[in-house]
Amino acid sequence: MSRSRSRGLEKAALLWVLFGAVVFAQRGGPPQPPRSPKDGAPVDLTGYWVSLVTEDWRWRMVTPLKNDSASVPVNAAAKKVMAEWDPAKDEAAGNQCKAYGAAAIMRMPTRVRISWQDDTTLKVETDAGTQTRILHFGGKPAANEVATWQGYSAAQWEGGLRPIGGGFGLGLGARQGIRSRSLEVVTTNLKPGYLRKNGLPYSARTTVTEYFERFSEPESNDHLMVMTVVTDPEYLAIPYVVTSDFKKEADGSKWDPTPCSAR
Amino acid sequence: MMWTQRGPERTALLAAVVLAGAVVAVARAQQPPALETLQVQHNVYAIFGGGGNVTVQIGDDGVLLVDSGTTASVEAIVAEVRKLSKRPIRFLINTHLHADHTGGNVALARAATDPLEPLNIIGHTRVLSRMTAALPAFKPGETTGGAERLRGLPIDEYFTASKDMRFNGEAVVLYHEANAHTDGDSFVLFRGSDVVSAGDIFTPGGYPFIDIANGGTVQGEIAALNHLLQLTVPGHTEEGGTYVVPGHGRICDEADVVEFRDMIVIVRDRVRDMINKKMTLDQIKAARPTRDYDPQYVTPTSFVKADQFVESVYRGLTR
Amino acid sequence: MRSKFLNACAVLAVAAILSPSRASAQADFSGHWAPLFHEDNPERLPGPELGDYLGIPLSDAGRLRADSYDADRISVVQEYQCRPHAGDYMMRGLSNMRVDAVRDPVTSRVVAYHLRMGFQEMERTIWLDGRPRPSANAPYTWSGFSVGTWQDNVMNVYTTHLKENYIRRNGIPASDKRTFTEHWVRHGNYLTVQTVITDPVILTEPLVRSQTWVLDPTQTMGRDICETVPEVPKAADVVPNHLPGTNPFLTEVADWYGLPAGATRGGANTMYPEYRKTMPKPANPPPAMCMRYCNCGMNGAGCALQ
Repeated sequence: MSRSRSRGLEKAALLWVLFGAVVFAQRGGPPQPPRSPKDGAPVDLTGYWVSLVTEDWRWRMVTPLKNDSASVPVNAAAKKVMAEWDPAKDEAAGNQCKAYGAAAIMRMPTRVRISWQDDTTLKVETDAGTQTRILHFGGKPAANEVATWQGYSAAQWEGGLRPIGGGFGLGLGARQGIRSRSLEVVTTNLKPGYLRKNGLPYSARTTVTEYFERFSEPESNDHLMVMTVVTDPEYLAIPYVVTSDFKKEADGSKWDPTPCSAR
Repeated sequence: MMWTQRGPERTALLAAVVLAGAVVAVARAQQPPALETLQVQHNVYAIFGGGGNVTVQIGDDGVLLVDSGTTASVEAIVAEVRKLSKRPIRFLINTHLHADHTGGNVALARAATDPLEPLNIIGHTRVLSRMTAALPAFKPGETTGGAERLRGLPIDEYFTASKDMRFNGEAVVLYHEANAHTDGDSFVLFRGSDVVSAGDIFTPGGYPFIDIANGGTVQGEIAALNHLLQLTVPGHTEEGGTYVVPGHGRICDEADVVEFRDMIVIVRDRVRDMINKKMTLDQIKAARPTRDYDPQYVTPTSFVKADQFVESVYRGLTR
Repeated sequence: MRSKFLNACAVLAVAAILSPSRASAQADFSGHWAPLFHEDNPERLPGPELGDYLGIPLSDAGRLRADSYDADRISVVQEYQCRPHAGDYMMRGLSNMRVDAVRDPVTSRVVAYHLRMGFQEMERTIWLDGRPRPSANAPYTWSGFSVGTWQDNVMNVYTTHLKENYIRRNGIPASDKRTFTEHWVRHGNYLTVQTVITDPVILTEPLVRSQTWVLDPTQTMGRDICETVPEVPKAADVVPNHLPGTNPFLTEVADWYGLPAGATRGGANTMYPEYRKTMPKPANPPPAMCMRYCNCGMNGAGCALQ
């Protein structure tokens, strides 16, 4: 092998070694084995949280007046159902919990207790209506899943972007990666219910997409925000989007389970 | 005119004037000065922390000051001025007589030794009259003093509704605001720089000190603030534009003046209503007509507390 | 002897390995955003009813200020006619929004987000370059001074230097002693911002609210130019206000919507679920059905009085 060719091979080998070293360094080492949703949680949502009813007060803290659909993008079919609302009929039929389904429960004035049932299941309990929601990581509803007030909730930590190393400062863009702090939950298999206690309906075809966020504050308690997107082709003209805010509480001393009420 | 009154009344009046000024100076100048200088707009700056706010206009003609802070602060104030300009201080305008705004007059006057670039101290004639009346009386046989006694006084006085001059390439207009914070207040408008020095007529963050003993009235205070609103023209989205340097507090604009003016009018309305209902001053104070504004305008170190403000409004409405 | 080329490669490799990677924008908030009015539509669009302090943690001072408010003030006091929304209210009130990323010309890093609102052409900058805050003696502005930091996909913002403004457009003021924090998060084409207002004068607890926008690339924002004019003759020292205890309009909202009058007075306790246990009954029988602002929906359209 000639001297010049030998030098050429040395250069190529060194370049590959250096390239690999840079990429390895920028990626932060070899890939880690996957962790459970609980162990890999980017944020801790567990604990006690209390609703802060600073928005939509007269539609949440009291039963709204009949036919009041203000703020909700309902269609004509929904207004027809609202006009026929009768809480006595709901009580007689055992439907006192119609306004406490997954599409509406986070909007109720309530305390919420969030805990890990196991490594892949998050439990969300409300004292308003004494409801329990089970958020399944990595699962899907069975084919014969029965519709319930809380439906079936499939959860995942919202995907981010993995970092990708760049071309050692030669102008090839690196990707730093993004980690999301949000919990995404999609709920289906819902029994028809009410978005508000005055009979504003949602149908069995409803899908509820939620994002749970935890925010820290420099001057007060942490807050939880739940963004709820209700998509109902039967009663809503467009997806209905609300964001409900909660304040962290130190313990469950104010936890006060109450039964559902149709009024 | 009060300074023509006879012996005992005059003594009491002088005592009141001196006391008011001394109280103001002590209350506001107990801390050693930690000064801050900010540019307001164009070639106008403001110095904070030396007693009352000091406005500084710089340019090729020299330096113009509005107010001179406290006696204890003047050296530091001059040091701040020197960071902005090495030119001589040619004009000092006093917005009113209180010692936290005139305390540096004597030192500045003593320092202006170049006869070709003298220092002119300007103020409304009532400021000169009251500051002169507050001078210690001559002792029997004492005749010396003369120029030294006058040093630091605003002898470049004006007695008309306004006075204008041109300095550093812009019109500088003084407006006499009658019987407002005192009876000798001046606004100073820097027309080119679009800045107004308002003196203690405007004190955002604290209730106004309506100095009854020195001719202040609540009606005059309101009228002065209304005039200030006429002088100010806001910029886009109703902020900025004409900036206002208050007697104490941050740099403001028209929107800030409106809130302050409204507060005084509303409190005046309430006190007037209580007077019409034949309530006494003590009853009015007990009713706390400022209770919704107190958290905003009163702090533990406030110069004017709620009762004091209420009383000044009451006296202005019942004199 | 090693060649110069190999030496250069070694230097570059060491530099690349050792150079720290710097955090930069974790989400993209730029674009045209249309507000969704699926929460508090009647309050945010037509405007809140007089005396409606529901769910606001008002202090006694804040309540009296609100009770004293006379809506004539906006017209009669000329300087209020064109007063825009402050930085905190503009995130709540009616207005389309455009967000532009401001980039460092050399590094291309996002150093700020610049917001422009349709209402009154308000502008606001959220600085992401860690610059220091202005002095307390510097002018306060409607938008305040905002500094943002990234926390994974969330942009946290802290704003100071705010002018006096309002928490609701029915007289609940916002003092110039307030600050507010925000948390911006984007999911697909939805942008959600939670605002937390801390006002030691007007509020007894932080006021937490959140609102959502949807991406609307076809949105056009026109001009909104306001000019102040004298609308009614008045004496110079007139500021419309209600003397304490004389505002005759404060009980209307309770009757119109069948609400307990005490609840409409606001206060921190009215925010919490347990308030329902102690909440008084309405003074008058509630209407049999909704009579007022019953159909506000569809992103602002169709919001008639009845």
